[in-house]
Amino acid sequence: MSVAQIAGGTTPAVARRAAKRDWLVLTALVVFGLVVIIAIIGPWIAPYDPDQLYAGPINGASSLVHPFGTDDLGRDILSRVLVGAGASVFAPIVVVVLSTLLGVAVAVTGAWFGGWVSGGIARIIDVIFAIPGLVIAVLAVAVFGKGLAAPIVALSIAYIPIVARLSQTAASRELGKPYMAALRVQGVSSLAICFRHLVPALIPIVAAQMAIGFGYAMLDLAAISFLGLGQQPPAPDWGSMIANGQAGILAGAPEQSVFPAIFVVVTVLAVGALGGRVTVWAEEKER
Amino acid sequence: MTPVLEIDALDIFAPDPGGPRQLVFGSTLSIGKGEAVGLVGESGSGKTLTVRAVAGLLPDGFTTRGMIRIDGEDIADLSPRALRDLRAHRLGMIFQTPRAHLNPLRTIGDFMTEALVHVADVRQQDAERRARELLDEVGITDPGRRMRQHPAELSGGLLQRVMIAAALAMDPEILLADEITTALDVTTQEEVMAVIADLRRHRELSLLFITHDLALAGAVCDRVNVMQHGRIVETLAAATMRRDAKDEYTKILMSAALDEAPPIAAAADVVQPILRIEDLHKTYRVRGADGRREELVAVDGVSIQLAPGGSLGIVGESGSGKSTTARILLGLERADAGTLSVDGHDWSRPARGGRERRRRAKIAQMVFQDPYQSLDRRQTVGQCLAEAIRVHRPKDSRDAVTARVLELMGQVRLDEALLGTRPRALSGGQRQRVAIARALAADPVLLVLDEAVSALDVTTQVEILTLLDAIRRETGVALLMITHDLTVIRRLCDQVVVMRQGRIEERGTAADILDAPQAEYTRLLLDSIPREGWQPRRRRLGRTQSLPTVTRSTIIPE
Repeated sequence: MSVAQIAGGTTPAVARRAAKRDWLVLTALVVFGLVVIIAIIGPWIAPYDPDQLYAGPINGASSLVHPFGTDDLGRDILSRVLVGAGASVFAPIVVVVLSTLLGVAVAVTGAWFGGWVSGGIARIIDVIFAIPGLVIAVLAVAVFGKGLAAPIVALSIAYIPIVARLSQTAASRELGKPYMAALRVQGVSSLAICFRHLVPALIPIVAAQMAIGFGYAMLDLAAISFLGLGQQPPAPDWGSMIANGQAGILAGAPEQSVFPAIFVVVTVLAVGALGGRVTVWAEEKER
Repeated sequence: MTPVLEIDALDIFAPDPGGPRQLVFGSTLSIGKGEAVGLVGESGSGKTLTVRAVAGLLPDGFTTRGMIRIDGEDIADLSPRALRDLRAHRLGMIFQTPRAHLNPLRTIGDFMTEALVHVADVRQQDAERRARELLDEVGITDPGRRMRQHPAELSGGLLQRVMIAAALAMDPEILLADEITTALDVTTQEEVMAVIADLRRHRELSLLFITHDLALAGAVCDRVNVMQHGRIVETLAAATMRRDAKDEYTKILMSAALDEAPPIAAAADVVQPILRIEDLHKTYRVRGADGRREELVAVDGVSIQLAPGGSLGIVGESGSGKSTTARILLGLERADAGTLSVDGHDWSRPARGGRERRRRAKIAQMVFQDPYQSLDRRQTVGQCLAEAIRVHRPKDSRDAVTARVLELMGQVRLDEALLGTRPRALSGGQRQRVAIARALAADPVLLVLDEAVSALDVTTQVEILTLLDAIRRETGVALLMITHDLTVIRRLCDQVVVMRQGRIEERGTAADILDAPQAEYTRLLLDSIPREGWQPRRRRLGRTQSLPTVTRSTIIPE
């Protein structure tokens, strides 16, 4: 019996909704925890070498020997999903964390100083916005060489404008509130106002943005690997596996795309639910 | 005469995990045709819940018991459709904050015609003609132009009249007015009440008037119900309420509204004033109605002096420049011209750098109007006070800070048990006490109070004013009180300055200004205060022009 059912009956709708939300978040937490564990220990629990060609039949269906089937080169898909989890999960996390740190720093600076500082930052952001993430990725590859570092740096930069726009608006609004004037009158230092009052006030909106950004980063990284600029073949990651499976889908063997896609969807959903909860929690603290 | 609206033994329950919690207990009242009935009480007394039950606007999960009859029909017996029809056509409701009820992106005309077109199926042209008639009826000049304007271009008093006009669109028989003048200046309040009084005469409207101001209710209503803790404790005829009041609580409300404590004896003349402002000017550049840049003179040649330990009141309506003066004093705005010195230091320019800001913070502190918005919602009371203390004593031990926090809590008479609570869990009065304690943390010599009690209930106002008076006697801090409410001045100030349109109209001792005002404007302000035998009158002073916070000094030729 779930918490939601226990809470049912005479208790008001609000309490029931709260209990239900916590149940959902608990599930999301467990799912995300499992995904992270898989990402860490994947290489050790994989039943086959992920790069071993012809470990089974070409485009083989699910079976007891190969639970997720085998791909167009006969590699075991389960093993590739497990080993690829590391790159697929941690790279988007790094992208989201980096772009959020930089984006919020830029936003707070702009909102704090206002005037030409804010205007100048806005113009720079516009310029970054105008360059597609993929182009930045190509540039990054030229600088860092092939591998995971280039797309991570490229996407982190490409995501800064999104985070910065959103949080600069929120920061400006927060700075206009009377309590900010009250803090200045008290003589509280600018740094303390920023870190003790302004940044915490941005948590709800930034947390929601991070959760959304994680999903996008995962998909964008997949697109970059598909172009051959990210994770280099034969090393697996979920994005390139989905992309490489396209031919298989047409040939009636969807396993190569479907199984990593399920992992992508489940992970993104779990992160989205967690982000939503953080937002609600931060807002509750505010009211 | 059958009553138009009858509420009989109405109980209202709020949803609660531990079972429904009763908030209103057997509320009973009736309103005849053309009658005005007041419902008076503090926030949390259940008066708003009672009207909301009548209007069908109770929050989700709230349940009621008892009877509400409109024109003799029990609304519990009506089908949902009939009920919606009844509410749409018989009831009109007006709220406290008109700005919050208007979509800022739509024009006044859109708002006025929407209900007519979509609910009453009136054609667009007819709806617009009707809207202009209604706006005219509530005393709005040039309704055609107003219909094309957006809410942000109109003042609070004007918006409230738009709301009244909109409520009249369906020709209601009953008007439910919930604290409609609380957010307005006294003079604007008088105008809005005069409009309501006219409407009642012309339309035979019944009025249920909710307010926390007993004097106002007594002046505009036929009968007054006093509500406390969810119960109607007393029902009085308005004309004789001062004599007939028996309930202790009614008497407290009355004295809170009327009692005028004797002014504190003026301090002896001191040579060196703590605050000296000379010929202060501030002009804002704003975008005018036609999109061009216009200059708004907010403060125009203001000079003020305040003796150490003295208390000075600056009175004026919104837009008179009184708040701008205070903000310049505390370095939140930059003056265009003029000199300003505090405690012998030149403060004409805002502080540069953190050290200068801290030094000034130790001398002058400020309490803001809305304590909920001037406290960080995420901080507990203890954290908030500790932060204010640490600014000036960064090296103090944790114990020393805690001791000082407790000392401050005692100074503002706050229970130590509240240290761990956040602002949302505090009452309005408690929040303002926290804000005062925070201002006192630095041991300032000058305390600026910007409308510090206007957002509070009358009884709470008295508590806070008494507290401020006590603090002034204990610590010798000088007070600069900014308010639109002259009754507040009488309790706390020995010197008064009356400001209008950025200029000083009149200055003198509190007793002189309040008892023998010289300037016409001061007399107008005093006349606008509701009291026994008071009749709201319509006046035109050009105050209804469209600028909400800053006012052009050129609007009225001096």
